[in-house]
Amino acid sequence: MIYLNLFIQFFHIGLFSFGGGYATLPFLYHIAENQQWYTIKQLTDMIAISSITPGPVGVNVATFAGFATSGLLGALVATTSVILPSYILVIVISKFLEQFETNKNVRAAIYALKPAGCGLLAAVAVDMFMDNANLPGMFLLAILFFISVKQKHDPLFYLSVSALVGLFAGFLHLTA
Amino acid sequence: MDKSFYTIFKTFFKVGTLLLGGGYVILPLLQAELVDKKGWIDSDGLCEYYALGQSVPGIIAANMSIFVGYKLRGQVGALAAVLGIVTPAFLAIILVASILEEIVHWSFIQSIFWGVGIGVILLVYLATKEMWTRSIVDKFTCIIFFAAFILSSCFKVSPALIIILSIAAGIIYRKRITTEKAGNKECENDLS
Repeated sequence: MIYLNLFIQFFHIGLFSFGGGYATLPFLYHIAENQQWYTIKQLTDMIAISSITPGPVGVNVATFAGFATSGLLGALVATTSVILPSYILVIVISKFLEQFETNKNVRAAIYALKPAGCGLLAAVAVDMFMDNANLPGMFLLAILFFISVKQKHDPLFYLSVSALVGLFAGFLHLTA
Repeated sequence: MDKSFYTIFKTFFKVGTLLLGGGYVILPLLQAELVDKKGWIDSDGLCEYYALGQSVPGIIAANMSIFVGYKLRGQVGALAAVLGIVTPAFLAIILVASILEEIVHWSFIQSIFWGVGIGVILLVYLATKEMWTRSIVDKFTCIIFFAAFILSSCFKVSPALIIILSIAAGIIYRKRITTEKAGNKECENDLS
């Protein structure tokens, strides 16, 4: 039952990912490694497209992953289930807002899970780096890194530059 | 002020359409729409929801929208807001994904994706760096960072389990600190 499985996977992403759109990536990466729904390569493409399409990246990637797994209905199931935990929790919290904000355990939990989420994302970054460790790729990454150190840009900017370089490298047959 | 399901939906739909890139740009967008144009909430309220949106699991933009929607009109408002913020993202991806299936085999599309794949590594790195400045504040958070990193990359532990472990570690650590402080005080009292 693919839809039930999709629901469970994306509901648990919605429940455990903290810290914004990219925080869902470690979970999606884990799914790519353990379920044969999509490959790491496809996931990378999804992240790129999600970064330049309207809407929150987390929603984009969930829709995309659901669509890749089982079409339109899959997309609908994945998107709904990634949002559902937020919906339930936010409404419950709205009713007990003061208790939530001042609760010691809640504060302690947030204090610890933020760096954990960051560590998970760092692991994804290293994995992606290792997967692409070829000479032309590293050369492009070095250029992008240098640009980002000099001045902060929009994700759209970095992706446009890398798309152009990719196109150019394709003509020179460097992208094999 | 008109706070019908449709108006709330439309407002968040607009924000959802303008929302490009990382989730953090949602703050200025909501500021412009909800505070300046509609006057539904004030700046302080919005900032509070922004902080709250990050302390709830899930996608920050969705969390904030549900918070604001619920404040405006209860369950109806929350539903209108979340549908509004999600629908543009959903439609855009369905459109792109359908086209992509047809063209992904073309060789120049492959080349573009090769380049863009490298760009994504930089984006993930930048997102990690951004999270680092927001979350690593002392020795304990630094230890949690490396523990999560090693468990995930070397031992392939599931992210959900790592999050649960970190929550447990955080609560235990804070408890120990408070009891230690209490213990120190008792000690001081005994000495004096």
